[in-house]
Amino acid sequence: MQMISWNDLWLFALISLLLWVAASWLSLRGGSRKAVCLLAIGGLTVFGSYIGLMWHSLGHPPLRTMGETRLWYSFFLPLVGLITYSRWHYRWVLSFSTMLSTVFICINLLKPEIHDKALMPALQSPWFAPHVIVYMFAYATTGVATLLALWQLCRKQDQLAAIDNLTRVGLSFLTVGMLFGALWAKEAWGNYWTWDPKETWAAATWLCYLIYIHWRRCRPAAVRPALLWLLLCFVCLQMCWWGINYLPSAQGMSAHTYS
Amino acid sequence: MRKNAWGMTRGGLFCCGLMAAGMALQLAVGPLRWDALAWPLNGVCLFVLLTGIVLMHLCRRKVRLFRWMATLQAGIPAMLTCAMLTVLMGVTRQVPTGHAPAEPFGITAMLSFWPFVLAYFWLMLLVGMVTLTRLRPRWRNVPFLLNHLGIFIALVAGTLGSADVQTLRMMVAEGKTEWRAVDVRYRVHELPVAIELHDFSIEQEPMPVFKSDVTVYTKNGLVVRDTIRVNKPLAVRGWKIYQYSYEESRPEVGDISVFELVRDPWLPYVYLGIFMMLAGAVALFFGREKDDSQQAEGFDKGHNVSSPVLAHNSQERSELTSDSNSILTSKT
Repeated sequence: MQMISWNDLWLFALISLLLWVAASWLSLRGGSRKAVCLLAIGGLTVFGSYIGLMWHSLGHPPLRTMGETRLWYSFFLPLVGLITYSRWHYRWVLSFSTMLSTVFICINLLKPEIHDKALMPALQSPWFAPHVIVYMFAYATTGVATLLALWQLCRKQDQLAAIDNLTRVGLSFLTVGMLFGALWAKEAWGNYWTWDPKETWAAATWLCYLIYIHWRRCRPAAVRPALLWLLLCFVCLQMCWWGINYLPSAQGMSAHTYS
Repeated sequence: MRKNAWGMTRGGLFCCGLMAAGMALQLAVGPLRWDALAWPLNGVCLFVLLTGIVLMHLCRRKVRLFRWMATLQAGIPAMLTCAMLTVLMGVTRQVPTGHAPAEPFGITAMLSFWPFVLAYFWLMLLVGMVTLTRLRPRWRNVPFLLNHLGIFIALVAGTLGSADVQTLRMMVAEGKTEWRAVDVRYRVHELPVAIELHDFSIEQEPMPVFKSDVTVYTKNGLVVRDTIRVNKPLAVRGWKIYQYSYEESRPEVGDISVFELVRDPWLPYVYLGIFMMLAGAVALFFGREKDDSQQAEGFDKGHNVSSPVLAHNSQERSELTSDSNSILTSKT
């Protein structure tokens, strides 16, 4: 079988994006849910097979560079969009997830220098893939929750049930990702929590989402502060995800800089 | 709405007071010295903490403060304080563990910064209090307990146990048996385990890997024969023995293998907490959020296992309401 490389990304990405755009368009028009789901699944299959083939030709899960992480992000955003759509039938949610996915695909296509970088030996661990995939899920679900929060703040449409649900799901992923990280760190470095900048920001982000969930229980009527807080949570999450790479206080301090 | 706001304000004021007290403590006695908290002092601290929480829980009907400590109005400001200090830690360059802070306030050694320590201590106190209010064998309490008891156990065991972690280096020559090891300050310790090194070798495929063929003896008569490689530690009686490095063969002694021995007696409890939280996260994922009226209904039917997050049952809710009401009437 011919080995697949980054050069083939545009073809797979184009087909997936066409399918996702078709699904988004159909759902916006109020078309049949089955057809929408099938189109979206088609797109996911095509993009998923690209990731699978990359996995095969690299000989390890494509999770070790910024470019490879963005592949998963482009994949999981439409997936979470599809799950949200199939559960709550929001017509617009697929358009949003497709748009975001497009952004990440474009970054990968236009900045090829982020594709291939040497990998650290410590990252060669069976904990690594679950740790990052779970975090990708967390980023994607909380990302969609943030978009819904923005939507509700601007358009005054009630999306609160979905926002709460997605945030809860996102928090559960954040928790699992964080704890997998802790177990992995104990195995690899002999310490489960060393408060390096990434871990510090992960703890802060986790606490912020905890505050949202507890606040929603405590003051269910105070919606606007909750939604604004959710935006802040997502800023914190961005800091944790890539912001620390540019943070002066974190330079040369983190075991997590693999970009 | 206003009574809730007051409860939350009190929580905020409490945290501000705590920060001021922490700052005063920091200026008076300097950064907290975690290594002073070794056994048995940390055991005493744990006993005092747990007894304190249980006593406060038992007195909660008489003392309004203790009742309030198990509420969201107390918990949210505590979480907010911890989050803010953690963000502060995230934007300041921290000195390596054990070093003195690089500025007079102590925020560059955040883990030893008293306000930080007190904020997390306060949060854990509240988590402990709220856990006790739900410590009843009901299915609907399980996700709540996994999350709250899990973080309590992991964090308390992790912090109190940190001073008991022993990391020692042991050098053993081929054919010899050794039971003495040095710590990071080069003090010699006699250990309850001894290592006899039969053979040290370096495998060359595909990357060089050191390995030591050893027999490990313990004081109570256990004998283990095994091979220790890089990244393949051997666990014996609470000690983990890692292949650390080696010294080139010398004519009079032969090869010397260097082992790192790590003992972390509180680790099983930290793991217990972590696995409880993992199970709690799974419950959080599958649980369905409902609004309070539906929830109360579900509770009465007795088959609702949802809402893993802070959901006070009707009894605690009524306690909270009466509490807040009494605050309101006493203050206005």
